[in-house]
Amino acid sequence: MQPRGQPPFAPQPGPARPYAAPWALLLLQLLLTLRGAAVPLQDPAVPLQGPRGTDSPAAPSWAMLQQAARVALHFFNFHSGSPSELQVLANVQTGGWQVDPQRGYHINLVFSTESYHLQDGKPRLGKCFARVFFQNQKPRPAITMTCTGLSEKNRTLQEDHLLYEQLKQMKDALTVGGIPDDYGYIDPSVRPIWDLAILGSSYVMWERTTQFSYYYPLQLSRVKQWKTSDHAIDFDYTVLLHEFPTQEIIPCHIHLIWYPGKPLKVKYRCEEIQTPVEASSGTEEGSAVAATEFSNF
Amino acid sequence: MGTATSLEFSKMGRAWIPMAETLVPLPTSSQRTQAHTGDPRLPLSCSGECWQPGQELAGVLSFPPTLPRHQVLRIFAADEAQVQKVKELEDLQHLQLDFWKGPTWPGTPIDIRVPFHSLQAVKIFLEAQDIRYEIMIEDLQSLLDEEQEQMFAFRAQVQSTDTFNYATYHTLEEIYNFLDLLVAEHPQLVSKIQIGKTYEDRPIYVLKFSTGGNNRPAIWIDTGIHSREWVTQASGVWFAKKITQDYGQDPALTNILNNMDIFLEIVTNPDGFAFTHSKNRMWRKTRSLTSNSLCVGVDPNRNWDAGFGNAGSSSNPCSDQYRGKFPNSEVEVQSIVNFVNNHGNIKAFISIHSYSQLLLYPYGYTSEPAPDKEELDKLAKSAVTALSSLYGTKFKYGSIITTIYQASGSTVDWTYNQGIKYSFTFELRDSGRYGFLLPASQIVPTAQETWLALMTIMEYTLNHPY
Repeated sequence: MQPRGQPPFAPQPGPARPYAAPWALLLLQLLLTLRGAAVPLQDPAVPLQGPRGTDSPAAPSWAMLQQAARVALHFFNFHSGSPSELQVLANVQTGGWQVDPQRGYHINLVFSTESYHLQDGKPRLGKCFARVFFQNQKPRPAITMTCTGLSEKNRTLQEDHLLYEQLKQMKDALTVGGIPDDYGYIDPSVRPIWDLAILGSSYVMWERTTQFSYYYPLQLSRVKQWKTSDHAIDFDYTVLLHEFPTQEIIPCHIHLIWYPGKPLKVKYRCEEIQTPVEASSGTEEGSAVAATEFSNF
Repeated sequence: MGTATSLEFSKMGRAWIPMAETLVPLPTSSQRTQAHTGDPRLPLSCSGECWQPGQELAGVLSFPPTLPRHQVLRIFAADEAQVQKVKELEDLQHLQLDFWKGPTWPGTPIDIRVPFHSLQAVKIFLEAQDIRYEIMIEDLQSLLDEEQEQMFAFRAQVQSTDTFNYATYHTLEEIYNFLDLLVAEHPQLVSKIQIGKTYEDRPIYVLKFSTGGNNRPAIWIDTGIHSREWVTQASGVWFAKKITQDYGQDPALTNILNNMDIFLEIVTNPDGFAFTHSKNRMWRKTRSLTSNSLCVGVDPNRNWDAGFGNAGSSSNPCSDQYRGKFPNSEVEVQSIVNFVNNHGNIKAFISIHSYSQLLLYPYGYTSEPAPDKEELDKLAKSAVTALSSLYGTKFKYGSIITTIYQASGSTVDWTYNQGIKYSFTFELRDSGRYGFLLPASQIVPTAQETWLALMTIMEYTLNHPY
């Protein structure tokens, strides 16, 4: 059986493999990936079963490829700075990896996307090619990527401006809370606020994702500040992120400044779970990390 | 003088018991003159039920006597003098008038509930003073009866599983009521078993679907072990109804039930579920208190005795994956363990969660493949194929540890190790767009497609006895 998840020409992952692959080989790998030389996932229902429990202790699982695709999209969404052009993951189509147990995982991906917003009741389909580097256990993976099939740039800018105008109309956004509500409902009138909140959350989720932890934004739970002007929207809010695999609900307080076409400015601080009152004899649970501020201001 | 109206009172749903009574007709004007005994303010004797002013409030707390033939009069005082006269009525305690709209100034109507025994006196008084009035409510009791009927009628709508709304999220009370309705409607097929009581002392119920036999091989399905996963309890309710509809109609399900029993636990974590409605929609765990910790609750899907304590769960009581102090520490888990052990003949065990759109089989606590991995993998593939045939919803499948993450102490790892070969965990819709806050419009489609996967597993179990 063909070993899955590896481009045929890739070096076999093995113990203590130094990361000294020449750039040419990497480029070749990437090109091969793009040309589908990596083993495709033909049946979307079939999970990729990476080599498991054999000689390669560091081989990533199929789940990690999904995570890589997701975080690539968080990164993409943040950098596009466009609440009208948010993308979500549809399917991972091909995935290749190179493992360096000392440093981390290099993952090459081709995956399909859907626009977060529906057009005529259907999401717009796209495709992305991404290279994600998870540095061992560390968050904020390094990402290079390119996507096709998206809306034309001018159109996106137009939609963003429309959204901006809608947002400027919202005077009492401060009373807004619970979007979606407990029953999953988002009133169309507050939809733009949710979109902007997701945009800001993308930055946070990119920064927090590691090869093991990933996130979904569940709910905008509170608006602390809402200021609109002709120059920017100044939005300070709390979003609840659902963290896998811990299953924790992490409240993140995000402060963003947005204007269509301009890079998004984000400052945030996430709460961590409480420490146990009694001293833990185990070492697996560290004490709560003091919440520090992160920003790109 | 109370302004709390009796109509508001009735809306609290207290039962009114009509008393048999003979109606004394009010005298006509000619008769009235004869009956008039001088000062109209002199009371008629109070016989029968006398309504004390303070009694109203007491009545709220205990089932009150009725208001037979009480009327509500609307009075139009033309001038200040007339207003004063009506005010005088207020002072007459024995009349026991209940001013719904007190006398204020001329032009503003005054509404008074008048007990039957005072009706004649009041009307005579008003007419003698030439104060215009009309009978606003001719018979308060019948109005209340009608309202009560309407309320009962409304409740009657949810007194049948045919009028129960499956496309909305329900409270614990509503689901528990549904269980009783279903059993009442299908007593030959469905029974309700209490398998234990929660930490906060709520009953834990399992529905048993059986056409007879004695301890037949059985299928177990549970939903809602993680309370915030609302689409699962909602789907469980739908499954229960579906079984009763399809038995005798659908050959496959009929065949299954003619040979096997189905056990369905819809609210597997009742305390957590109640908490998601009252305080925190995102609550996952039980609500047990942990000594030496301010944090509440244990993750019931890390509390089973399979790889307990391994990586894939937490020793921190504040964590959403807290495993508990020891296996089966949670009564919600222990109850199922006891049930499974006592039954001894369960052949398939399916535990339903959301979200992520996955169908998973053991193991979660180890990367060692399960001995029946090949068979489980094939069965999972058929099940998700069936599922996606309905709406195209894509599910991935595989073992827990390779498909989602390492998880120790999870339900189906334990059931599998007990010898229940066909042990599966579902993660229903969606794949992250709404997560736990899945819009109610997706409940029924989710339940429908999941049912196809469940049928695949159940049929396979029937056809592959072991």
